[in-house]
Amino acid sequence: MNSRRRRSSAYRRHGWVRRIGVASLAALCVAVSGGAGALAYFFPAIVTALKVTGQTIHPQSSPGGDVAAANAADASTKQPFTLLLLGSDNDAKYGGQLLTQSMILCRVDPVTKQVVMLSIPRDLYVPLSTGGNNKIDYAYSYGQASAAVATVENDFQVHVDHYAWIGLLGLVNLIDKVGGIDVVATNPVLDDFYPQDLTGNNPYAYERVAVLPGAQHLTGMQALEYVRSRHGDIRSDFGRSQRQQQVLLALRAKAKLLGLADLPSIADAMANDFNTDMSLSDVAALLPIASNVQLANVHQVLLLPPDTSSATVGNADVLMPDWNLILPEVHQYFPS
Amino acid sequence: MSRRLQVLVALVLLAAFAFGVNRFLASRQAHIAAASSPVEAKPVIILPGTLYLASNGDLFRLSHGTFTDLHMPKRAGTWMQPAVVPGSQNIVAVARQDAYSEVYLVSGTGKVLQQLSHNKTASATIQLNHWMFWPTVAADGNTVYVSYDAPKSPQSYEIEFAVWKGALNANLAARQWTTPFSYTGGDTESVPLANGNVLYAKYEIDGGNVFSRLALQTSPLRAPVYLTDSTSDCSQPAVSPDGTQVAMICGNGTGLQSTSLQIASLTGSTLGPPRTLIAGCLCASPSWAPDGSGLAFLNPADATGHFQLWWIAGAAGALPKKPLQVTYGLDFDGTSPPAWAP
Repeated sequence: MNSRRRRSSAYRRHGWVRRIGVASLAALCVAVSGGAGALAYFFPAIVTALKVTGQTIHPQSSPGGDVAAANAADASTKQPFTLLLLGSDNDAKYGGQLLTQSMILCRVDPVTKQVVMLSIPRDLYVPLSTGGNNKIDYAYSYGQASAAVATVENDFQVHVDHYAWIGLLGLVNLIDKVGGIDVVATNPVLDDFYPQDLTGNNPYAYERVAVLPGAQHLTGMQALEYVRSRHGDIRSDFGRSQRQQQVLLALRAKAKLLGLADLPSIADAMANDFNTDMSLSDVAALLPIASNVQLANVHQVLLLPPDTSSATVGNADVLMPDWNLILPEVHQYFPS
Repeated sequence: MSRRLQVLVALVLLAAFAFGVNRFLASRQAHIAAASSPVEAKPVIILPGTLYLASNGDLFRLSHGTFTDLHMPKRAGTWMQPAVVPGSQNIVAVARQDAYSEVYLVSGTGKVLQQLSHNKTASATIQLNHWMFWPTVAADGNTVYVSYDAPKSPQSYEIEFAVWKGALNANLAARQWTTPFSYTGGDTESVPLANGNVLYAKYEIDGGNVFSRLALQTSPLRAPVYLTDSTSDCSQPAVSPDGTQVAMICGNGTGLQSTSLQIASLTGSTLGPPRTLIAGCLCASPSWAPDGSGLAFLNPADATGHFQLWWIAGAAGALPKKPLQVTYGLDFDGTSPPAWAP
């Protein structure tokens, strides 16, 4: 009698264990299944993200040291950090040598959500980290991001924690992917010699551009015309720099719409036109900061005359820096 | 049920679950809603008179609370900036191509009556093309003012708009009326006044600052009278039907992504102190109702950034009503002020 009761009790215990085991297995299967579904969704983005993030750069003669190895401050550590944004053409007009049409040095404080944006004129005539003197936009051409970062670090005596590079088509695709941006165009932006290098068959051809003034909704290509045009603006590159900062702010506004589920389509849009030395986690930590920064907390800096003055070197029109004026201004916001 | 069948069913269910998770994530993407056609929309109120608006390269008429597509010919380009022709049922409007734009006379039902400009060059030199924008017709129904990039050397980088005066029944740009500042973008958005003066936005660049001021041109090519200062950065003037109020869009020199809608009294060549109707918006293109009962303007309503039609009843009065969003889900051209006929 007793042994029968013991057997029955053991059988019941065994049954519970079995049921728990089956339930656990079922839960595991469901989790694996869901994970597989999510992985299939994010896989292309993960591949792209791994490809374009965490780039290693090798600064030449940079006082800042090896950026990737310096355990740099970044968005994920909540420490203020300095980011060099590089924008360049990505056509074959210069035999594959890409110039940076835009260089914006950003200081981001993740805690106070303050941002300083300093536009570096592309025609600034400086010593390059690769040797010799030239316009600063040639730094990327001679040594890609490594040289661009090192040149900025050397000349401006600042430490750059990270860089991010975007090509023209990447910018166009990104803006289109977020449904266009709203920009208050500062003035009529007219250009009869706008490069027709993204459309048409002749990269040396021109087209006419007219971006009308005032608040408006721009597609990626229209936004590119707005930030890239310079011939009809008395400020030439300075005007363009100001408009580039505007478009960054407009994109920031659109970042609020985006979530994790948008990563695959964004990654697809920018696959060949974006790279950075930031890790994937740094990029992920930066996105919410970017979307939460208030306009009032964004300080925009341009290196206008007398910080710079026009000159001619050889046949090239350049901007000569007055470092005695520039460096104190830069060091107000960017630590060395 | 055999064990094999159970395993098979379980696998199918798991695969379906995986697919469901995948599609759920896809559904969580930010929905950048495509704008509807105005003809599918019902304005929340009936506005007085007849409005002509530009959306998605086409022109639409809003009358008695119903939008009508004017079905402008696509081959002419992107249609924009309609303006009423006083004393007629017609409008003038711009059709923009890649390298030039033309002004057309169009009937109120959308029939192209006449091409008024010829800005397309037969030459392969693209710089010989021209732009014309913001045509406006004076009260006589014939005198036209338009912003036009004047003929220039095709080798020159310089290009900016000046306001030109012409006639519907003759040359549209017969005489240059204003002298723009070089390499600034120039003079835009002219409004002919009853006394023969022309109010417009004049762009200027001073050091690192770019701004516009409302300017009054009393005679051709003379120095204008400025009605606003550089720091308020005002443009897009719209004069009330009785000529006593000016609505304008001001950037206040922020250079950022914000504008304000302001109005001020106009007495002769003096503008009174401005009153801000809305601040911190992306307001654009104000236009007074022909009976003076209120002010329409364009402004995005949400993060999609598509510009909707808004209305402020009693805008000229001491106690204007709260701004009312008239349309939802549409996408009007922010650079095309609504043209308003009685």
